Amino acid sequence: MASLTSLFDPDLLRRYDTPGPRYTSYPTAPQFTSDFGEDGLREMAAISNGDPIPRPLSLYVHIPFCTSPCFYCGCNRIITRDTARGAAYLTRLYREAAMVSTLFDRDRDVEQVHFGGGTPNFLSPAQIAEVLDVLRRHFSFSRSDRLDCSIELDPRFITPDEVGELAAAGFNRASLGVQDFDPEVQRSVNRVQSVEQTLAVIDACRRHGMKSVNVDLIYGLPRQSLAGFSRTLDITLEARPDRLAVYSYAHLPAMFRPQQRINADELPTPETKLGLLQCAIEKLGQAGYVYIGMDHFALPGDELARAQQRGDLHRNFMGYTTHAESDLIGLGVSAISHIGPSFSQNPRDLGSWEQAIDQGRLPVWRGMRLAEDDMIRADVIQSLMCHGELDFETLGRRHVIDFTNYFRDALARMAPLQADGLVKLDGRGLRATSQGRLLLRIIAMCFDRYLPTTAASATPRFSRTV
Amino acid sequence: MTTPVVFPRPNPSVLADDGDALTFCSTCAFSQACLSEGMDKRALMDLHVLVEHVGPLRVGEHVFREGDPFSAIAAVRAGTVKTYQIDRNGHEQVLGFHLPGEVIGLNGIHGDRYPCNAVALDTVMLCRFSFPKIAMLAARLPNLQQHLFRLMSRDIGVASLFARDNTADERMAAFLVGLSRRLAARGFSPRRFQLTMSRTDIANYLRQAPETVSRVLRRFEQEGLLHIKQRDVEILDPSRLEALALTVLRD
Repeated sequence: MASLTSLFDPDLLRRYDTPGPRYTSYPTAPQFTSDFGEDGLREMAAISNGDPIPRPLSLYVHIPFCTSPCFYCGCNRIITRDTARGAAYLTRLYREAAMVSTLFDRDRDVEQVHFGGGTPNFLSPAQIAEVLDVLRRHFSFSRSDRLDCSIELDPRFITPDEVGELAAAGFNRASLGVQDFDPEVQRSVNRVQSVEQTLAVIDACRRHGMKSVNVDLIYGLPRQSLAGFSRTLDITLEARPDRLAVYSYAHLPAMFRPQQRINADELPTPETKLGLLQCAIEKLGQAGYVYIGMDHFALPGDELARAQQRGDLHRNFMGYTTHAESDLIGLGVSAISHIGPSFSQNPRDLGSWEQAIDQGRLPVWRGMRLAEDDMIRADVIQSLMCHGELDFETLGRRHVIDFTNYFRDALARMAPLQADGLVKLDGRGLRATSQGRLLLRIIAMCFDRYLPTTAASATPRFSRTV
Repeated sequence: MTTPVVFPRPNPSVLADDGDALTFCSTCAFSQACLSEGMDKRALMDLHVLVEHVGPLRVGEHVFREGDPFSAIAAVRAGTVKTYQIDRNGHEQVLGFHLPGEVIGLNGIHGDRYPCNAVALDTVMLCRFSFPKIAMLAARLPNLQQHLFRLMSRDIGVASLFARDNTADERMAAFLVGLSRRLAARGFSPRRFQLTMSRTDIANYLRQAPETVSRVLRRFEQEGLLHIKQRDVEILDPSRLEALALTVLRD
């Protein structure tokens, strides 16, 4: 694999800094409509049971609560210190799990469980363990060595002993929010978190036998400096997490209310922001990490990196995963399910979700059925996001299409990207160059039928920067 | 030659061809019998009067139900029709799956009511033949009559396929080889097709548990006989699969 440094081409990153989907799904959530409801989910679940070899299941559990608002956050969450709300939420979550579980044949193993938020550890370790117990009653869990059980943790609100309780309950992966260790940055985003408590949680995850620890960092936050972020990277890499995500902060206060509390004057300049990314890429490269794609890095021995090497990496709402073909059941407010050729999403407001469950209905707010064309494009975009390349013959064979003919328009849109050195294209395939791998989104957008062609053609916008 | 169509994608060359007063649509189960006979135009027109295109039927719609008065047999033009009965204990018994070019309702001939249910498993198009009239026509046309008899005996043969004492692997292999051959005969790809019936339907038909269906197929996949992705089947080693199916399909 090419060195990480070659990923970074400031000129290209500047020119292709257009907003675009992150493709944790294709079609993306804005395409979901309310004519897909409860009946749609029931029908798709029945169809998925009818597969000759029904796919294993993945469970996503959304815990929406946070005790304190981080100002950069664009997630769907509820700020409260009232722990009783957690207990009330779980009562309904269990009802939802009971209802949904009856839709799936019992011989379908659960291979992946992920707790996200919000802050899952808003709940006590005992409550989290209870959720897992309830899920085990309703679904058939895989043997523990095949089961990935992961949780997002806010290190400010969990002790090393409590990490031990989670490990004992069955969690074998953890993902820690860090963002930046620089105290000035932490104050300006309202997330003060010491190095010591963070390292203590990472250490506890290891001591208690968790298979993998991920750390999330963000660049582009207010008051962030090269010196400060560089120190954050040094401290983080010293702890050697198995996986690292380095996200770009997008300041969209009109879309995400909490961001209105960020002082836009304190945001780094585009030049500084690019510098922060460059710094991260260089340091990760020196530390031996490989680039997985879309902000994600991993140690070469990590399962994600190995899956990528084997050509067996996948991507879903939980991010990159080694679990290929599973049907994903999302539980809790705003959670998204992906059952067979369909997506469905629970209501994003707590009240509607609660009401549906109290009335004994499956809380489906919106969704969509994928047409054959959607599935072909989803596979193409998946291949790009996971492996940075397309093999026309393989994809054509899999979907019984003549790839170059079917995607004539999309391939024509590649011309400027090819001229700029983002992709290499010939009659047999398409490959993102190392410079193009940080811009996989832009390449994928060319295959997105739902984007207006002007955006999909990814015309370089010289006026906009990172 | 274009590459064969992967069932159940509609075969455009077939569906566009709806026939007219003097030619049959090419999916018609009777066209060959009649044409080889050199039927005169008048006979053809007689036959067309009795022929009625039905559909599209949607998933779960019934073509006929057990006990309905028998009036017609029907040839499948597109999609899959499942025939089944409900036994005394209220359990469904799957009798068969009918693919394009195959005829349903033949087992209603000897009585005046349909002895089973027929339901669409996907989007189904049919050709209905009003029965008493086609029987009259058959009396005039020996080849048509012979063809009817052949269809009927084939129907009985299919039903008895799994009555014998075969292993789960052999039954599954025979099921897949059977589908592959039948689809090939209608111009579909014999190597790649979609299973339009559910796992429980397959299990019911093969008299196996649904878990067994999955277990056997998973093993077939590990042994490199085939590849399965959701409903899509690709047969990778037809000769080994046929060898496995031999004890069931022996004829």
